[in-house]
Amino acid sequence: MATSVQTERTEPNTYATITRDVFNTIGNPGRGYYVLLGIVLCGLAIGGFSLLWQIRWGLGVAGYTPPVFWGVYITTFVFWVGIAHSGTLISAILFLFRSAWRTAVYRTAEAMTVFAVMTAGLFPLIHVGRLWYAYWLIPYPNQRQLWVNFKSPLVWDLFAISTYLTVSTTFLIVGLIPDIASFRDKATGWRKKLYSITSLGWRGTDQQWRHYTRAYLYLAALATPLVLSVHSVVSWDFAMSIVPGWHATIFAPYFVAGAIYSGVAMVITLLVPMRKIFKIEHIITVDHFENLSKLLLLTGMIVGYAYFVEYFIAWYSGNPFERASFWNRAFGEYWWATWTMILCNGALPWLLWYKKLRRSIPMLFVLSLFVNLGMWFERFVIIVVSLSFEYSPAAMGHYTPTWVEWGIMLGSFAWFFMWLLLFAKNFPMVSIAEVKEIIPLPRKKEVHQ
Amino acid sequence: MTDGMNRRGFLKVLGATGGGAVALSGCSSENAERLIPYLVPPENQIPGTATYYATTCRECSAGCGLHVKVREGRAIKLEGNPGSAVNAGKLCAIGQAGLQGLYNPDRVTAPMKKGADGQFAEISWEDAVGEIVGRLGAEAGERIAFLSGNEAGTFDALVKEWLAAHGSSRHVVYETMGYEALRAANQQLFGIDSLPTYDFSEARFVISFGADFLETYLSPVQNTRGFSEAHSFNHGEMGRYVHVDPRMGQSAIQADEWIAPNPGSEGAVALAMAHVILRDGTGNTPRDVNRVRPLIEGMTPEAAEQASGVSAEVIERLAREFTAHRSVALGGGMGAQHDAADSTAIAVMLLNYVAGNLGETVKFKLDAPAAAGSYADLMALAGSMNDGNVGVLFVHGTNPVYNQSGFGSAMANAGLKVSFSSYMDETANECDLVLPDNHPLEQWNDFRPASGGYLLQQPVMQTVFDTRQTGDVLLTLATATGNNGGGLAAANYKEYLRAEWRNIQRTVRDRQGFEVFWNSSLQHGGVVQDAGDTQVRLANSAAQAQISTWVPSGDGLTFIAYPSPTMGDGRGANKPWLQELPDPISKITWGSWLEVSPATAEELGVVSGDLVYVSSSTYRWEGDKLPVFVYPGIRDGVVAMPMGQGHEAYGRYAANGTANATNFLADGPTGFGGRSHYNTVTVEFSGGEHETLAQTMGRNRQMGRGIAQFTTLAALIDGHGEEEHGAEHAAPVPEHIEEIIDEWQEAQWDDFRDKGNYAGEHPRWAMSVDLAKCTGCNACVTACYAENNLPTVGKEQVQRGREMSWIRIERYFEGGEHGEPHEISLLPMMCQQCTNAPCEPVCPVFAAYHTPDGLNGQIYNRCVGTRYCANNCPYKVRYFNYFDHQKQGDPVFSFPEPLNWQLNPDVTVRSKGVMEKCTFCVQRIRGAQHDASTDGRDLIDGDIQTACQQTCPADAIVFGDLNDPNSRVSQLSNDERAYHVLGGLNTKPGVTYLKQVRNRAEA
Repeated sequence: MATSVQTERTEPNTYATITRDVFNTIGNPGRGYYVLLGIVLCGLAIGGFSLLWQIRWGLGVAGYTPPVFWGVYITTFVFWVGIAHSGTLISAILFLFRSAWRTAVYRTAEAMTVFAVMTAGLFPLIHVGRLWYAYWLIPYPNQRQLWVNFKSPLVWDLFAISTYLTVSTTFLIVGLIPDIASFRDKATGWRKKLYSITSLGWRGTDQQWRHYTRAYLYLAALATPLVLSVHSVVSWDFAMSIVPGWHATIFAPYFVAGAIYSGVAMVITLLVPMRKIFKIEHIITVDHFENLSKLLLLTGMIVGYAYFVEYFIAWYSGNPFERASFWNRAFGEYWWATWTMILCNGALPWLLWYKKLRRSIPMLFVLSLFVNLGMWFERFVIIVVSLSFEYSPAAMGHYTPTWVEWGIMLGSFAWFFMWLLLFAKNFPMVSIAEVKEIIPLPRKKEVHQ
Repeated sequence: MTDGMNRRGFLKVLGATGGGAVALSGCSSENAERLIPYLVPPENQIPGTATYYATTCRECSAGCGLHVKVREGRAIKLEGNPGSAVNAGKLCAIGQAGLQGLYNPDRVTAPMKKGADGQFAEISWEDAVGEIVGRLGAEAGERIAFLSGNEAGTFDALVKEWLAAHGSSRHVVYETMGYEALRAANQQLFGIDSLPTYDFSEARFVISFGADFLETYLSPVQNTRGFSEAHSFNHGEMGRYVHVDPRMGQSAIQADEWIAPNPGSEGAVALAMAHVILRDGTGNTPRDVNRVRPLIEGMTPEAAEQASGVSAEVIERLAREFTAHRSVALGGGMGAQHDAADSTAIAVMLLNYVAGNLGETVKFKLDAPAAAGSYADLMALAGSMNDGNVGVLFVHGTNPVYNQSGFGSAMANAGLKVSFSSYMDETANECDLVLPDNHPLEQWNDFRPASGGYLLQQPVMQTVFDTRQTGDVLLTLATATGNNGGGLAAANYKEYLRAEWRNIQRTVRDRQGFEVFWNSSLQHGGVVQDAGDTQVRLANSAAQAQISTWVPSGDGLTFIAYPSPTMGDGRGANKPWLQELPDPISKITWGSWLEVSPATAEELGVVSGDLVYVSSSTYRWEGDKLPVFVYPGIRDGVVAMPMGQGHEAYGRYAANGTANATNFLADGPTGFGGRSHYNTVTVEFSGGEHETLAQTMGRNRQMGRGIAQFTTLAALIDGHGEEEHGAEHAAPVPEHIEEIIDEWQEAQWDDFRDKGNYAGEHPRWAMSVDLAKCTGCNACVTACYAENNLPTVGKEQVQRGREMSWIRIERYFEGGEHGEPHEISLLPMMCQQCTNAPCEPVCPVFAAYHTPDGLNGQIYNRCVGTRYCANNCPYKVRYFNYFDHQKQGDPVFSFPEPLNWQLNPDVTVRSKGVMEKCTFCVQRIRGAQHDASTDGRDLIDGDIQTACQQTCPADAIVFGDLNDPNSRVSQLSNDERAYHVLGGLNTKPGVTYLKQVRNRAEA
């Protein structure tokens, strides 16, 4: 297993170099960081203003055009929930499978998961007509004796997302403890205080390690089913309805595969610049990327298959509404969205059959951007295009988003990257403890030298 | 409570927190409203209980009776007077919208005088009267002119008497829809200048030569009622209706056969039919036909084919059909009033004449008032003004400057111009004084429609603004000038009216005391006695009748300006309900458009929504907002535009910058004194300019989905009504699935019963809609706006598909391609109140829920606005509040003061962010249940009438309890034509549709 981490420079990875290299990723940021943070905060301000504008005047400032009652917000919600999924897959499922290569990349993936869920969770609130009453979806005892409708997939969704946020956050924090402790030992100033508190008194004793590894295993086991269930529940928001193009049994596996696909793409998008900036190319190596791209290839094939099955069943069912809906997807007013989706998600991943491309970092980066774009359009096609072409010909419409929706979407990316930037400069983006587990044990001779 | 808190302490805390709550409630965003009880309650006014007053609708000249629902001193809803001979309780969309005239925010609130700077400023009524009196002293005799709309009745008499007292006889009447051609034809043939009434109910074959009799023609509600009786499917029988017109308008939707002749040649077809009837002797032709025999014999079917392009065989067949059944032919519609329209009207009347229809289905009422005024009279007045022969001009109830821009410049040459308009419309703007009249609902008045009878108007509430009835102003003027002899000595207009009604009492031979007669007339909205018909026979002048066809002048496309079924002649334009009401054909709102046939559109290189320039010989529309609507129901080479839009003044809703159709028409009267609504125009498309039509139909065709289904009479008689319905059926639900669903349904009811709230049996409220009756007139839509406080959202929002119309008429084009005839299917779509409602289970907070009596309830204050219900509704009848439409300052504010006075207090006004939908008028259901329970009786079928059903002129909608096997709705729901829209989805709707029936020509 240890072979999978290869050094790309002369100096071999040792416990000392790893701690040093990862510790070097934090510390006082340079000007570039502040510029990035500034851009992100501007984006967030635009998003915040758009949201306040929408709350002030009503959802009418968004582009909703009946029968398209769900638009960019729900599209982006599903997009972010999807992104979140690969983090848990890499950190929990691959952990259970003892897949060693995950150690270098899982922290980034996991942080991405938490921030993506935090972003996704905003959208159901942003999209409801009366944001200030959104808490009515929570079943809490009240003197009005009002209860929620557990038949509604939206209530399931609430539980799925909040559970996922809780579990993935806990998982991230628990995994961080030993690393923060190593930072604590090296840091000075206010960081020292921060790490002293957040390392929760970790001293690395055998007993602590024994408890820790058990706890980590259990949390991994707890998080694993969520990878499958959360996005299944999200898919039921659609599949439980009778909208042609939504009402399909394939939705749960289709959405899960799509989620992991988009999540892996996002991990690649984030890792490529990060390893460069943080100068940790010897820790996160091309091998890691090849493994990630194999995952991308697998899920991409599943997603492509799902597209094919959707169209096949639409034809095979003989249901005229279903057929018309899919015809409209491919050749209707939104043909460009559908073909963008098919190109990005169905066609481009075939390139990954070539090993050369799997090992080409620039190629992968570009491809991952395409997949991100394609997966956003996939949700757009499923949600908007299906809604725009339902049963009643009199009530078919064409939806175009407004600046408010684009502003809020921009704000959501800013929100996500803000957390990521803050995290990256203050916490280890690579698991020090776990990477150390898979390098060769230090020998005395080397210590002497 | 034993330790620490005793009763006294508890009450203290309660008092303190209560006080705090009161103080805090002052901080809420909604202002506290004070409820002030009546110190001395008005008689017959019980708060919360509506009072109904009978009066007469004055939105057009039909004279429909009204029952005005008044709550706490405010009129909130107009309904037809069930006792009226004209409308029998029904009302059209324009009538329903009368309330928005009463509460219009753009009404002139007080007398206004134009200053030297051309701006109007308020003056007092005394000063205003003083101004006129001063001028009347200087002017006398024929230099005083009074221009009014059709005000047949006491007001007419007052104007004449007042003018006579001042030495003038110049009372000019002008109605945009004056039916000059029809009147000219009647004058020529029968020597009478009046308008006919048609008795459709007896007719089994109706043929219309360009008469839009279900839209604006003469008396549309009366026509619709009669037509519905004649043409709806009833026990295996129905009439047949053929429409001959280059354009298929709303009336023609009902046509079993639409024939598009060369524009202007309908008369030839009618006359050739008369020719065939006379030749074959199949008609019940009166003896004196010889006077016109040469004329009729001159038009052979072959000659007619030459002129009109309609084949001689078709004409022969139509003629056979015309005499095989009791029939009626209609002509002289304003949308077909070209230069030769009098010929058309003559030909149509002759057709009726040779078939023996006069006095049978075509009647001239003895007590009909003489028709007066014409476009020619208006133009004569304009000429006289230009010659400086008018010193004082009064304008009342008409707006000629809108239709005839030259009239405005002519007015500049008159002395003092006084308008009595309620609005600063185009004509009022040209006047020196505007003395706003009361709205008809604030007036004492009466009216005599062409269909006969004496209809009374009474004020139903206090005046909204500082307005005065024009009758009173005239009497005041007469007193001031000292010319107040005779009837003009009356203390006020009401007394003058009562004096007239003493004469009317004598005319109708009523022998009661006058007060009894007066009160009974008020109660009934007037007196209608069948005074009988005028026996018409051919006059000497009939022999001189000439028949010609309209010939286009110059190259270009034939242009038709037709009266809009929603705007009328334009006076509906400032009512947001009517602006937002989709046109029955194009389904476009808030503006005008140009109808172009697909082939012509291809020639021009345009598609629907492209913006074009239209120019006629006299006028070119330089605005950039005339979108094209490609319509298969119009003849190639013909373009059409609705009248009524494109106001430059009149109010915030009317002046919306679109084109005015009448501007493209040639000026100057035709030979028969009317205005030609045909012209030749050129249409230019520069390319590139396009707008999203503010159209409420997503797709124009139903894509084989069987939404609006139809069958044919022949198929129904043969017993296989299923055969032709233009629909693919979705797979039927397997029986075992049905069972499971029924069990689930039962369990749901059990659940309700267990909770103890709804023990016992419940009705299942349901509705049936007979598509064979529905004419697509939209009356139900406006009634729903009025009853349920629906906001209007404006053009931009309609372009985004956000109209809030709880009931909409879906209009689907059928055929029209590959040589098939173009037809239209209609379907009123409202919440289907499904038994298995897809909207209910998806709502996370139970805002959408099922009531025990089968309604899909919607709890506005529980709704969070996830809009999942709307996504899951296959019928798309849920409407979301994107804005706070009821809130001043909101981007889409719908109820500027005093429009909000109309709001129905029984129905919640919804705030932004909540979903709403048709409730089956649940407030009416509960009201009727409450009334029945206070009376200690059970509800009977028909006690509950939804607003749409109540007003439907065709009586297409029936509401009732499906669990009662004897109710009308449950019988209709089991009709052979019954079907559910998208029944394959197993939603089990509460609304059952009965298929439209097409009575195809026998081969």
